[in-house]
This record gives sequence, structure tokens and C-alpha cells, in this order.
Amino acid sequence: MGIRYLKKSATLQGRVNAEDAEILLEWLKSRPGSAVNVTRCQQMHAAVLQVLLALRPRITGQPADPWLQAVLATPQPN
Amino acid sequence: MSLNSTELLDQFILESRECLERVGQRLLDVEKAPQDADLLNDLFRQVHTLKGNCGLFEFKALELVVHAGEDVLDRIRNGRLSYNASIADALLEAMDYTASLIDVIEADGALPEGTQDRARLLAAALRDHLGEPVAAPAAGRTEALTPVAPLPAPDWSNALPAEWRQPGRVLVRYVPEATCFFKGEDPWHLARTAPGLLHLDVRPNTPWPEGDQFDCYACNLDLRLVSEAPLAEVEAHFRYVPEQVDHWHVPEQPAPAQPTTPATAPVATHAPAPHTDLLNARLQQVWDDQCRLLARTGISAGTVAAVRQTLTNLLVCRDDHALASQAHTALQGLAPGPVPLAQWAQQYHPDGHGQAHPPGSPPPAMAQPPRRSATHPTPEDGGTERGQKVLKVSQDKIDRLMELIGEMVVAKNALPYLATRAESLFGQRELAREIKTQYSVINRIAEDMQHAIMQVRMLPVGIIFQRFGRLVRDLSKKLGKDVSLVIEGEDTEADKNVIESLADPLIHILRNSLDHGLETPEVRLAAGKPAQGTLRVAARQEGDRVMLTISDDGTGIDTDRVRLKAVERGLIPADRASSLTDPEAVQLVFLPGFSTSDAISDLSGRGVGMDVVRNAVERINGQVELESVRGQGTTVRLTLPLSMAVTNVMMIEAGERRFGVPMDLIVETVRVPAEDVHHFKRAQTTVLRGRIVPLRALSDLLGLESAPRLNEDGELAVLVVRLGSENVGLLVDNFHGTSDIILKPLEGVLTGITGFAGTALMGDGSVLMILNPKELV
Repeated sequence: MGIRYLKKSATLQGRVNAEDAEILLEWLKSRPGSAVNVTRCQQMHAAVLQVLLALRPRITGQPADPWLQAVLATPQPN
Repeated sequence: MSLNSTELLDQFILESRECLERVGQRLLDVEKAPQDADLLNDLFRQVHTLKGNCGLFEFKALELVVHAGEDVLDRIRNGRLSYNASIADALLEAMDYTASLIDVIEADGALPEGTQDRARLLAAALRDHLGEPVAAPAAGRTEALTPVAPLPAPDWSNALPAEWRQPGRVLVRYVPEATCFFKGEDPWHLARTAPGLLHLDVRPNTPWPEGDQFDCYACNLDLRLVSEAPLAEVEAHFRYVPEQVDHWHVPEQPAPAQPTTPATAPVATHAPAPHTDLLNARLQQVWDDQCRLLARTGISAGTVAAVRQTLTNLLVCRDDHALASQAHTALQGLAPGPVPLAQWAQQYHPDGHGQAHPPGSPPPAMAQPPRRSATHPTPEDGGTERGQKVLKVSQDKIDRLMELIGEMVVAKNALPYLATRAESLFGQRELAREIKTQYSVINRIAEDMQHAIMQVRMLPVGIIFQRFGRLVRDLSKKLGKDVSLVIEGEDTEADKNVIESLADPLIHILRNSLDHGLETPEVRLAAGKPAQGTLRVAARQEGDRVMLTISDDGTGIDTDRVRLKAVERGLIPADRASSLTDPEAVQLVFLPGFSTSDAISDLSGRGVGMDVVRNAVERINGQVELESVRGQGTTVRLTLPLSMAVTNVMMIEAGERRFGVPMDLIVETVRVPAEDVHHFKRAQTTVLRGRIVPLRALSDLLGLESAPRLNEDGELAVLVVRLGSENVGLLVDNFHGTSDIILKPLEGVLTGITGFAGTALMGDGSVLMILNPKELV
């Protein structure tokens, strides 16, 4: 499935693979302040997660996976 | 105990011994090369195997010690603890204790009361090295269920919220390597699918780089998780990650490069209330697992025994004690085999006995499958999975085989007699020749068989050398000496019996060298020698003998002192002592009761010294030689037969009877003209190659009537044998050929007759008495 990019937000759907991480990174870098919707994301590769954790975009929605939900919700002690 | 579990126990004892032997060896190796990761890993594996084996039985004392040892080693292996002499001491001591426990288990089949206290002390001593206060030694009841060690919490876990660190849980820190994405790994997925996951925390390993510095394909994650699953399950889940870490010894990433470090929080003695649920859930889970295992078709007897043991252990954790004891009694009276056990497990299933939380899925119906597996457990199951290359056979079986082959050798010797009979008695020349042809074939096969069985019994001498490393280490430490042990030729092989009877004399010799021979570093330096003494043990094969040389570069034997002491103890007269040359004086140490030490130490000085060594070696037809140079060192040389099973004897005749004399004692056989025998009073002598040889008539020695017979040329048959350092001629009637025999020692009432070494059965069915000239003359 992968990522659907809109103007102000990106939507993660189904399984998001490692290949999507780089595109997501570039997209987020070019559009600071955009949101990422994770509601329909079932599974996320660690590389993608890493991008989200590093750039800290605004996350909308809640993934079905409680662990993913918890990780995305915690503020990073960076 | 049922038959199966005794078999299992035997196997356990055998394997544990093997493990311990290797562990001992490795401990010493590691001490020499503490940086060698392979050695450490091997050491850890051995201890781990040992622990696994212990877990199968209810030997808590054993498990306690081994587990503590494993924890220490795990720390060392992960580089969190550095190996030093005191740790080595603690580990070796624990190992010795473990070995003694195994001995007790072998003798009694169980451990006596009170062993646990000692075990706890040892375990505590080991855990002291972990650098944390030792857990209260009250961890008794729950250990059987959760063999989790009260390891101190690692530093990183302090960052985790305190409520995570609850008893019985496993905390895991997983820092994937930076390039892990390119290997198709997904650390996040791996972490979140961990068994029994309770908490998962992800943070950057190093602060996220700014802007373009950030590489989304360089993994910079630090995953910490808490699991309620057993440590082993968590370890298994992350089994691919430690390997990855092994390859990852890049020095730039030192501290965070910690591998998956499953550390365990302390176990509470009595599980607190919130954990009863958890425990019960686990209990049911394990119980179900056992039921499923029993339901398999054709499970082996060993598995059934293991399941039975597991279920027994689980019973301890049941809430309802009355029910548990009832179940226990029922289990005791249970017939062997998987079916009754499966029924029992169903009957006493923890589910439905007022547990707070029944498991999410009810256990599958258990009743039918075991019935299918009812009577015929297929023997192939579990056996053919791996092709076994090495067979472990008890020595009894080998001995039996050897005995049979020995009988075969003797039985085949009857064929030539038969051939002779066929020819002379029945005039069947053709038949006689055919029997002889058949004989030569059987003879060849029998010899091959004998050779093959000898090979089976051959062991490398290195097996006994292994113990020396430990001995030298401990003793030199105790005596404040610095000694390096050099071992050469440990591959040299000899018969198992020879090797085994060698162990004690060799240890004696080594002790002597360490105690009397080698000096303390100061003395050595003053004498212009390197501070470290060298003790060399070398083995090599020479013809059909094994030569063992034990040499040290110590002070050598003080011959003046030896002379003095020998006279003091009344072993030889003073005038004779002073007339001895130095090399001769050295030999005085072989006299029974000789000791130079005034004080009796626990090492030596009890006067049971070299004469014991000599006796032990001579008992297996070996010889001892001792050489010593003052100030330069001592060398002990042992010469031993390769094998004791077959003795080569020469048959002689005296007083119309045949006797055998062991070939290795015979120097030569000569015929001496009667007029060359000199009579002096009652003694007879003759001169052979310029040397006087005393002569004794064998018939006199044996109390036979007839005098030695002369042959047609008026010559006497003289068998010259070597007794110690001198030769003695035995006057016999006639010589016959030599023969390989299986020497059977005299038994029963005949044991006291020392003049004979034993008997042998000859091919024609007659019994040959083998002389023991040493005792006879």
C-alpha cells in the first residue's frame, strides 16, 4: 500500500515498507509543519518509524497497533 | 523412580562429568588468554549445557551453583566483567563442588539435605563478583518454576520507569546496528513481536542529527522492552541479533554497542498479588504445552520422563495445596508411559480449579491423541534426526567384547592341535591341510579383531594431563611459586587401564616437583634462573612402549641430604650410604618409607613417596627412572606398555611341567655347559659375556622334585631374566615357543600366591601358570 501524499499531509496505509522512508523524509523536509496520518497504518518499518521520530511531524489519527500508538505518542527525551 | 528416569539420570551424570571436565580445562585456558572470545564462548556454552541438564532434575543445590556460574560467565562474555584470578578461583571452587554433588547423585540418586546451604554460599560468592549485593538466600520455592537469577539491574534499565521493573520480567535493550536495514532487518517489528511484551520504548541511540545529516537508512534506534515471557523465550526471539553483534566489533561505537542484553529482575520469594494472575496464566500455559507434548505420537521415554518432572515441578506452584498434594500422590502411583500421564494431567489441569484468570483459549481436547500413541512409541523418533558419529559405550561392554575376542583367540589356537590330530591319529593329511588353511584365515581375522578392540580402548594420555593444569595452578599458588606447565605429546595413545593407573603416580611426581623441586621466584632469581619455573610433561611412543618424561628445572635432589635421611631412618647402613655415587644416591628416594621432609605438609612428607609411584608403575609392567642434577632439575622417566590386555609369554619346562614367563622380563635364553657352572657353597653362578650371573634352579624355587635336566650335549637351559637392575639365570629343563596370552589374575584363595602372576588358557585347553620371577627369586 504505502504512503499517499497530499498537500498538507501524508497518509500511511497498510504496510509501509523501508523504501518509503526516504521519500517520506524528503517530503517532510520540503514541507515543514505538515501532518502525517497514521490511522490506517497497520505496520511500519523501523526506518519509517525512525523518520517520524527524528523529524517529529504532527501525527494525526491513531494506529491500530497499540505499541506503535504508544511510541508515537511519547515525547522524546531528545 | 521408574526405570526411564534412572536411565536419564545415568545419562545426566555422564554428560555432566564431561561438561565439568571441559569447563575445568576451559577455565584454565581462559585464565591464560582472557581475551580469547572463542574460549569464553565455549566455556559459557559448556556451563549453559550443564545448567540445562540440571534443570531436568530436581537438584536445586546443583542448579543454584551452576546458574550463578553461568551468570558470572555471561557477564564476562559480554565484556561487562573482566576475568581475574579471584573469579577463576570462585568458579573453580564452584566447579569442584558441582563435581562432588554429581558424585553424590551418582551414589545415592538424590542430594542429601543441607547441600543447598553450601550451594547458596558458593552461589553468593560467585554473585559477589557481579558487584551487587547478593539476593537474600531465601529464594527457595519459586526457583523450580522460574529459574531466573537475581542479577543486579544494568545501568540502562534505570532509565526505564520503575513500575516496569517488576519481579519475574525480562528487560531487554536492543540497539540494532546502523546498517541493519540493509540486511533486511526490521528492529521495530522484531521488538514489537517479542513474546510476552508488556512495555516497549523507542528512543534515539544518539541524538537525531540535524537537517541533511540525518540518514533515514542508518538505524539510530534504541529499543527497550519489558517482557513477561521466560528469559529463554526472549533469548530465542532475539537469537539472530547476538550474531549480528558479534560481527560488529567496530571500535567507534563502543558503549551503545551493547548487544541484546536480556537482564533479569529479581524474583520475589512469594509472588505478590498482582502476579498471581500472571503466574497462573503461565502455569496453565506450560501445563498445556506439556499436554500437547504428551499428545504427540510416539514420543520417547525420555520425553515422558521430562514431562513428568515438569508437571511435578509445576504442582509446587499450585495455589490449592491440598489438591496439589493429592495430585502428587496420584502421580507417584501412576503407571509409566505417556497415556496415564496425559490422563493425569487432564484430571489435575489447573484450569477450572478456581483460578482468577482462565487462559484466553481453552486447552484443546487432549483425550484422543494420546490414545493413538498408546502402546507403540516408535523407537526412531528422536533418534534418527541427527546421524550420530560418536557412540558412548560403557566400559563394561567393551571389556566384555574384549574378553570374548580373547576367548576367540584362544579357541582358534585349538585348530592346529586338531590338524595335528587329524593327520597323526586319523591319517587325514588332506583334511589337516584344510584345517590349517582355515586356521590361518581365522587367525588373521582374530588378530584384526584384537587389534581393533585395542584401538577402541586406546585413549590419548592427554586425558590425564588435563587435570595437571589445575593441579599445578592451585599448588604453585599455594606455595607461592611461579610455575609454567608445558605439556607435550598429549595425543600419544595407550590402553585405558594403563592411562588410568598412571594418573595417581603422575600426580605424585608433579607434587614432588612442585613441593621439593621448584624454588620460589626469589630463590630462582638468586640462582640466576628465570623467576618462572618450568614443569614439563612429555609423552611419546617408542615401539610398543609409552615413554613419559616429567622434568623440572628446579634445585634437583640434594644427594647429601638424601643419604643423611636414609641413614637416619635406618633404611641403609651409614657406610654404604657414603660409598654411593650421586646418581645411585638419588635412587634412595625409591626406598619405602623414605622422606626428606621433617614436617608433614599436606602436599608431601608422609613417607609414601616414590616407592608408591614405583609400585604403581611396576604393577602395570612399567619402569621408573630418576635422574637429577643438583641445581638444574630432576627428570622422572616412566616407561609403560601400550596395552596390558595381551601378554607375550615364553613357555618353559621344568619338572615335566610347563610354565610361562612374561617376555618383557626375559633378557636372553642360553645353554650353558654343565662344567661352566660354578658352585660356591650352595650358590651357583656362571659367567656370561664377562659378567657373573647367579643361577637358581626353577624346580627348587617351585619345590619340585626333579633337578634341572641336561640336554644331549650336556648343557643346562638358562633363562636369564631381569630383576630390577640385575640379571638372574633360571635353570629350566627346556624352552618352548612364545605365545600371546590373556593373563587372568589368580582369584579366590589363590590370590595370596605371589609366585605366580596368573593363569592363561592355552589353545589345547590346558592351563598355563605364568610365573612372577620377581617374587619367586
